[in-house]
Amino acid sequence: MPQLEFRQVERRFPVKRDLGDLLARRDRVWLHAVRGVDLAVRRGEILGIVGESGCGKSTLARIGVGLQPADGGAVLFDGHPLDGPDRAGRLQMVFQDPYSSLNPRMTIGTQLAEVVAHYQPQLSRADRAARVQEILAEVGLVPETALKFPHALSGGQRQRVSIARALCPGPEILVADEPVSALDASVQAQIINLLKRLNRDKGLTIVFISHDMNVVRYLCDRVAVMYLGEIVELQDSAALFAAPAHPYTRALIAAVPDVRRPQPLAEPISGEIPDPFALLPGCRFAPRCPLAEPACQAPQPMRALGPSGLVRCWKAVPAT
Amino acid sequence: MSLLSIRNLRTEFQSPSGIARAVDGVSFDVEPGEIFGIVGESGCGKSATCRSILRLFGGAPARIAGGQILLDGAGDLAAMTERELAQVRGRDAAFIFQDPLTALNPTMKIGRQIAEVILRHRKASRAEAREAALQLLRDVHVTSPERRLDAYPHELSGGLRQRVVIAMALALRPRLIIADEPTTALDVTVQDQILRLLKERRDSLGTSIILITHDLGVVSQICDRMAVMYAGRLVETGRVREVLDAPSHPYTRALLAALPGQVGRDRALTPIEGAPPSLIAPPPGCRFAPRCTRALARCTQGDPPPLAPRAGAAPGHLDACILDEVSDAAA
Repeated sequence: MPQLEFRQVERRFPVKRDLGDLLARRDRVWLHAVRGVDLAVRRGEILGIVGESGCGKSTLARIGVGLQPADGGAVLFDGHPLDGPDRAGRLQMVFQDPYSSLNPRMTIGTQLAEVVAHYQPQLSRADRAARVQEILAEVGLVPETALKFPHALSGGQRQRVSIARALCPGPEILVADEPVSALDASVQAQIINLLKRLNRDKGLTIVFISHDMNVVRYLCDRVAVMYLGEIVELQDSAALFAAPAHPYTRALIAAVPDVRRPQPLAEPISGEIPDPFALLPGCRFAPRCPLAEPACQAPQPMRALGPSGLVRCWKAVPAT
Repeated sequence: MSLLSIRNLRTEFQSPSGIARAVDGVSFDVEPGEIFGIVGESGCGKSATCRSILRLFGGAPARIAGGQILLDGAGDLAAMTERELAQVRGRDAAFIFQDPLTALNPTMKIGRQIAEVILRHRKASRAEAREAALQLLRDVHVTSPERRLDAYPHELSGGLRQRVVIAMALALRPRLIIADEPTTALDVTVQDQILRLLKERRDSLGTSIILITHDLGVVSQICDRMAVMYAGRLVETGRVREVLDAPSHPYTRALLAALPGQVGRDRALTPIEGAPPSLIAPPPGCRFAPRCTRALARCTQGDPPPLAPRAGAAPGHLDACILDEVSDAAA
């Protein structure tokens, strides 16, 4: 059974109508940020969710940890719907900007102790402090960090603190939304190593949301690619990068600049992510896709790809 | 002759705790038709260096404390008055900012903004300027350019906005474009398009481009030569393939080794321990020495070492490390 499962998860926002729309009695228009997402997160894996801005990856993550409600579908934890504080203790989130997620007026030790106290109210003061020290050590911070304020820390240290805070309740799944995007490469490597260590040593399941294909390739066991609210491909990381099946995945990988070669080999895709309001019923990538045919305008279900992959493109799987 | 020669540039920022020497003795040349990349991590001075060229400090308490910025045919920009420099901006050299939204006036239609740039520097009727603006939008491959002329910046996507900013930078056909992280705020597929566009302009018009970025991949993709900057100084420079394929300064090597994609998944990445030094009171000797795994006692003495060629290095490939042989091969 998957540890965390998204079933037909939907998230949509009403689009503001102007007076003209109202007078013409035009129907309310919805923007589907997340559309019919099925995704199963396996215990102990690092699952990457990649895509460009506006693809819905962050919204999906927030729905997963319960920070945003879903408008349809279900999120199951160990097969059961999970609500309230119970969910918070078992699923924790790490954000891109550690500075805005820490209290600037409280020492690191106090902030972490507060979180520990919330989840383990039975602990004495001394035990709480000891637990905080334990967690700081786990994320590679020296004990004195507890006495410091967030502004006295470097960007990398702050991101370690926000990971430490997420670890306080003893979660089983960590959802990390672009946790290294704001960091310099030399510091980014520290945080990536830390996440990998937490996964290997503690068996922590990690859902890693990122736009950086190089980081995802290195860190993740499996990767889901999102485009305009839908998952278009899901594969083991090695298979995805060796043989991306969906034309969008191929374009995404081809566009990543590589320090080892001067020019990307593939032709770039044209255009940008289209207006999400005016979408065709079929493949959402078709307007930019070099392989598009009339048949792409039919709705595209996910199709099996190899033993464990899925792809939302009829041209990507061999005809049977 | 070089289009731009920067000689021993020093730029200082006033900060509450003292004077920060953000650029501390930087020299490099940019040739006509060349794309020159400057890379480094946040706070290394790459942005301060390129902003010094046209003195675009955006109100920050910064000043050029020394050195020369020689632009072919225009003279020493560092010695110019603000008034003289205003004539150079846009006409001889133009600047592209990271965030196109801050570079555009939110209350003015795109067409008028581009036309204004043209009208500020040459005589033309409004209709002529508008026609020129339309052509510029076509040149940067803006789709349905006629319609975009009457659009406001907020109506455009991030990629389109950056194309508009590039169109404005190209308006007066400057010989030099300085682009400060022009694709950092963009998605990777759009970044790819913008980088191709910059390269295309260089190929067709021979425009020189200085590209500032933190992304070594971007440099690898479009630059001819590059410089690596650390704590206000250049530590390595040379042709891109030489620097990236055979880096000789320990900092360049460390930076490359920290990137995911350079090692297999089963091996840990190699971060650079420690943090860059204070620019207010930098340590003596090589500024990277406190974080350098190979540093010797003599690395932390005297002035920071200058860029120098290494025996056997390709022509123009220089680095600022005094150690004889950086033997532990990285590549």
